Amino acid sequence: MHFFSQDFTYDHPWSHVVIGMWRKYPNPRCSHVISVDVAERTVDPMTGVIRTERILGCKQKTPTWIVKLFGGSEDAFVREISFVDPANQNATMTSVNLSLSQFATCYERIQYCPSSSGRTSFTQTAEIQARMALWRSAADGLEKWLVQRFEQNAQLGKLAFTDVLRTLWEERHREIA
Amino acid sequence: MADSLSAECTPLKQKYDSCFNAWFEGYLDPAIANNTSAEERAAYSKMKADEYQAKCGQIWEKYRECVQKAVKKRGLEKLLEQAREEFALKEPPPPPTQFKK
Repeated sequence: MHFFSQDFTYDHPWSHVVIGMWRKYPNPRCSHVISVDVAERTVDPMTGVIRTERILGCKQKTPTWIVKLFGGSEDAFVREISFVDPANQNATMTSVNLSLSQFATCYERIQYCPSSSGRTSFTQTAEIQARMALWRSAADGLEKWLVQRFEQNAQLGKLAFTDVLRTLWEERHREIA
Repeated sequence: MADSLSAECTPLKQKYDSCFNAWFEGYLDPAIANNTSAEERAAYSKMKADEYQAKCGQIWEKYRECVQKAVKKRGLEKLLEQAREEFALKEPPPPPTQFKK
């Protein structure tokens, strides 16, 4: 498991940051994000909290060994769930990769909340984790296969050398006789 | 505004985004200010939720239908279902500080 975190303060009030949240893309600095779709959105009539599920499409140059080993392509998709809670002036975004999710997860959390003198604090954490169960079962399978191959070859090697020794010494004995 | 994952949904998406953004910007400041009591908050939230539905509901339905089709076409439906099961996130998650080790 790998962790990442960063904190930052934006020189804008919370409401301005949250309005900007929906306008971040397209962005020349994040040209890898090529599509953004809203899959679900609800406005809670009691609390006023807005929950949004978005699907972000990214184009990243993937190392060829990853493409070969795991399949996949240059297109990767991410699911993002956000909660905007105006009463508590709290906004959170949680993102998890959809592509390659059978092999590893990148779980990202972002929070925006008001900071002193009309500024907004930004906290971001991410946990990147390979699915160990899968690796373990793959590793077990590989080990089993290796053991089988080794046993077979060891058996054959023994027989092969037995043949060589027999042939060699039977011949020598005949020559002497 | 960002494109949709499917070119055919992009015009619907941009219409929907414009509708939502306009509504959201009108919603936010009073929602922050009208926060003296739970009743007041609920009354305002209900009114604005209804207003959102009235203003953007129709274009949302059209856009959503288009995206759902596009998600299927791109082979993302199953991955999305799995992610929804694994990380339902029906409620806001705990603050990130609780994740730090």
